[in-house]
Amino acid sequence: MKKSKFLLGGLLIVGAVSYLMYTGIRETSTYYLTIEEFLPQRETFTHASIRLAGRVQHGSVQWDPKTLRLRFVLGPLAQREDTPQAVGIPVQYHGILPDMFAAGRDVIVEGRSDGTILTATTVMTSCPSKYEAAAGD
Amino acid sequence: MTHLGSLALYLAFLLAVHAIAASLWGVCRRRGMWTQSGVHAVYAVFACVLVAVIALLHALVTRDFNVEYVAAYSSSTLPMQYTVAALWGGQKGSLLFWTFILMLCTTLVHLQNRNKNRDLMPYVTATLMVIAVFFLGLLCFITPPFERLAFTPQEGSDLNPLLQNYWMTVHPPSLYLGYVSASVPFAFALAALITGRLSDEWIRTTRRWALTSWFFLSIGNLLGGRWAYEVLGWGGYWAWDPVENAALMPWLTATAYLHSVMIQEKKNMLKVWNLVLVILTFALTIFGTFITRSGVISSVHSFTQSGLGPYFLTFLILVLTVSFGLLFYRLPELKSENELDSLLSREAAFLFNNLVLVGLAFATFWGTVFPILSEWVRGVKITVGPPFFNKVNGPLGVLLLFLTGVGPVIAWRRASLKSLRRNFLLPLVSGLLTGVLFLALGYGHYYGLVIFSLAGFVLATILAEFARGTRARQAMLRESVPQAFGRLVSKNPRRYGGYVVHIGVVLMFIGIAGSSFFKIEKQLTVNKGEQFQVGRYTLHYSESKNTEDAHIASQTAVVDVYVNGQKIDTLYPEKRFYKRQNQPTTEVAIRPTLREDLYVVLGSYDAPSQLATFQVFVNPLLSWIWIGGLVLVLGTCITIAPNPAERRALALARVPATPTGETVAE
Repeated sequence: MKKSKFLLGGLLIVGAVSYLMYTGIRETSTYYLTIEEFLPQRETFTHASIRLAGRVQHGSVQWDPKTLRLRFVLGPLAQREDTPQAVGIPVQYHGILPDMFAAGRDVIVEGRSDGTILTATTVMTSCPSKYEAAAGD
Repeated sequence: MTHLGSLALYLAFLLAVHAIAASLWGVCRRRGMWTQSGVHAVYAVFACVLVAVIALLHALVTRDFNVEYVAAYSSSTLPMQYTVAALWGGQKGSLLFWTFILMLCTTLVHLQNRNKNRDLMPYVTATLMVIAVFFLGLLCFITPPFERLAFTPQEGSDLNPLLQNYWMTVHPPSLYLGYVSASVPFAFALAALITGRLSDEWIRTTRRWALTSWFFLSIGNLLGGRWAYEVLGWGGYWAWDPVENAALMPWLTATAYLHSVMIQEKKNMLKVWNLVLVILTFALTIFGTFITRSGVISSVHSFTQSGLGPYFLTFLILVLTVSFGLLFYRLPELKSENELDSLLSREAAFLFNNLVLVGLAFATFWGTVFPILSEWVRGVKITVGPPFFNKVNGPLGVLLLFLTGVGPVIAWRRASLKSLRRNFLLPLVSGLLTGVLFLALGYGHYYGLVIFSLAGFVLATILAEFARGTRARQAMLRESVPQAFGRLVSKNPRRYGGYVVHIGVVLMFIGIAGSSFFKIEKQLTVNKGEQFQVGRYTLHYSESKNTEDAHIASQTAVVDVYVNGQKIDTLYPEKRFYKRQNQPTTEVAIRPTLREDLYVVLGSYDAPSQLATFQVFVNPLLSWIWIGGLVLVLGTCITIAPNPAERRALALARVPATPTGETVAE
């Protein structure tokens, strides 16, 4: 009898934790893809919350500091000089430019795509490689 | 010097292997000479690692850029304090530093227990030295810190500018101390499992170590938050980044342990659970280093993929298998000697607090590894960001806050309705009044108000405890109020220090609630001379300045702050460019007050037109997080401080139960 009361109390907490985690996962999941993975199946991810890793294409950056509007094309990470410019997805963003943002940089973009343009809520310059990459420069 | 350093590391590795073999051989064959030799080897390993640390520091300070590590993490213009901090700024150096702290702790443990715990110590030596051998092995054979380059570069490529901050000089050492000292309780737990000496001897011996570990983990996390707040410039202090989570998880399980251990001491219950918590805490510290170093989970401040991942993972699996294997083997001997009586009792409150803390740790773990799991299971990487953690950990945190109020006050065994009314009526009323007060002050957010009310409730229960104890001494011993209060705390520092820690936690909750639910954020671009409004502040961008030296070029905006037409302050948000690393950074200007922080970021600056983009945050009550942190540190110091009275009492009380007698650690 005593035991079952505690079991019930414990189960309530375990249940609450599991419920919160289940709904949390369902509501906040974001697909994390590289641009190479994303482009062939971009229709599948229309309107879904996505996080894309890619490289800012040269010559594609339009930044208006007055209105804080940014547009650029997110291209493949393994971008070669001779590949056509059209490969990639246009991104629009409103906000402060991250410190390291520049054409040719690797960035991670979070937002939703309507199939033709990605509206970003966050643009992060990816830092992970910085620690060690700097040594090789 | 560097040759001496690598030589010292190899020697340390061999000596550490010897320490394991000697202490185990000594205990199996009952040869005191061998266990003694193991202990001496421990001291020798410490000396060797110390030499290696000095050698690397010497290389850094003398700017020996021929050493790969020095060239990668410092430069000739790097200020001296950051040059020293570069010791833990990179992968290899931080591993060396980690090993150094581990050996420091191991040496201290052996000095403390020179004449105590003779049955446990050989296994403690062996366990700690297995951990040391793992790290020394990495340093000798996988990532040697003294590696030299084929040529000598003119200049080093400098320490990451984000790490060139004073918080960053103290945050990693503190976190490492917390991580590493968690291995001491773990080693004693393993020794207890191996020897079968499962009374709470090992727990009492390691109480201060567990507290110390928790203490440094707390400070490490707080400093990390403080660093993020001042340096990263996004207006917050905690982003649920995998690396932050890695430091939070062992803190959560350690917190659970510090509470449940009291139940074991008082009631001889939860023995298995306590062992599980000690093992998990240690495993999570290794998991933390695994995450930061393997690159399996992308994070803002991870070290790159370095090939160390598999080693850490193997070690982690070994640790878990051995520990849980032993635990399973000893399971029949770990039966509880008591059982719980009532849901309305302190035991139950502690039990639920434990479940919630472990639930928090589990949810954090799940969210952190979810990208890997989803990639394995569904073939697509799915991340859950801060919203997941806020959604799951937020309500659990609120529940925990509630239990913080209930636990210390509710009666042991079984609380009567009458005692409940006596203990909780006043706090409940205070809680409600706090809620009303905050509502009247304009904090009209449902979630926030719940937290403020609970904070009022918990504070009232704690203050009532202090008042009750003081009054009792006053009446019985005819002491004056300050005298009674002082003696109350000093006679029972563990209990009242714990309450002080709780006050700190409550203040932190207030700060978190205030800055999460009532924050104002605004970003806009203005010309020089223009002004704009954020909350109750009028900001006037009056001037811009450029400065430059060999190390940094910077642009500063001068922003005058007005409230109700009165100029109250001038802020200098800055944009810096670190030349060696070719990297711009943001220097935030913060005006902290007890009521709210004004946080101004110079987002971008266009030199020709002097057009500046500002990002401005008003973070209400945020300072209370740091104040709460200080209170928490103070409270922990009270509980850790040596207490002769307590020790005598403990020794007297324990002698009949454990014939081994005095085993309390200093």
